Amino acid sequence: MNGPALLVVIEHGYRGSAEVQFSDLLYVCLGLHSRLGGADLLLRGGAVSFAVEAGPVPPLRIGARLLETAPDPRRSLARLLAAGVRAWADEADLNHRGFTADRLIDGVAAADGAELAAQWPEYQRVWFL
Amino acid sequence: MAVAGTEPGPFDWDLLIALTAAPFASDVVTTVLRLLDATLRRGARTQVWACGYATALTQRSLGLFKPADVLDLRAVFPSTAAMVGDLLREYPESLLWQVCRFCAEDRGALEHIDGVPIRSFSRFAGRVAASATTVYIGGA
Repeated sequence: MNGPALLVVIEHGYRGSAEVQFSDLLYVCLGLHSRLGGADLLLRGGAVSFAVEAGPVPPLRIGARLLETAPDPRRSLARLLAAGVRAWADEADLNHRGFTADRLIDGVAAADGAELAAQWPEYQRVWFL
Repeated sequence: MAVAGTEPGPFDWDLLIALTAAPFASDVVTTVLRLLDATLRRGARTQVWACGYATALTQRSLGLFKPADVLDLRAVFPSTAAMVGDLLREYPESLLWQVCRFCAEDRGALEHIDGVPIRSFSRFAGRVAASATTVYIGGA
């Protein structure tokens, strides 16, 4: 195959915020991409929202502290794309949540989940984060 | 006829947050921190009872900062222990963060930052009774 040996699949969004900050799942994915010779990324379920255009995540006020480092999945995803990761979002899951493909950030393509699944055998590894 | 323990106020605490959901799995930790900010800022007396893996949030071993971001080594990120510790110092009279002894022992999380007591679960009912409102944030 021409692509990387690893496909990373993320299905669940909202996996922590104040306790996570920079170290979100896309940070993990970037580490896998860097250390394992490349990775493709498939967003399914609630995680498709990572790729939907939105404003920056606002800071959180926690007492006297202004926490300005909450995870921003679009920022994290942009870093992944810049590193050369190819990314898709499951179109049915997008539509199910009221989004259309034209809301995706540049570099992420909507795709038919079944067609993508048919390509999974081309990867040596398919890992669900 | 009044039933013991159900009489309305006065209560020692306005709000009890029972947090049993695990961090790093959903947005519950952020929800709790925001609830604390909102209620304490309004002058409420609020206590947290941390159970399950939420007992890990205030471990002394977390230190003040998260591990370094290898992509930005100069940046620093506060730990949850630091966030809770700062709130405790800011609201020493109106915030109590306590952890469940059973859950803490079960997870080896017995060393906590100053001001965070470890309490037997047998005291939980008393904490509920002493609070005008209890919000239970559960979930696996």
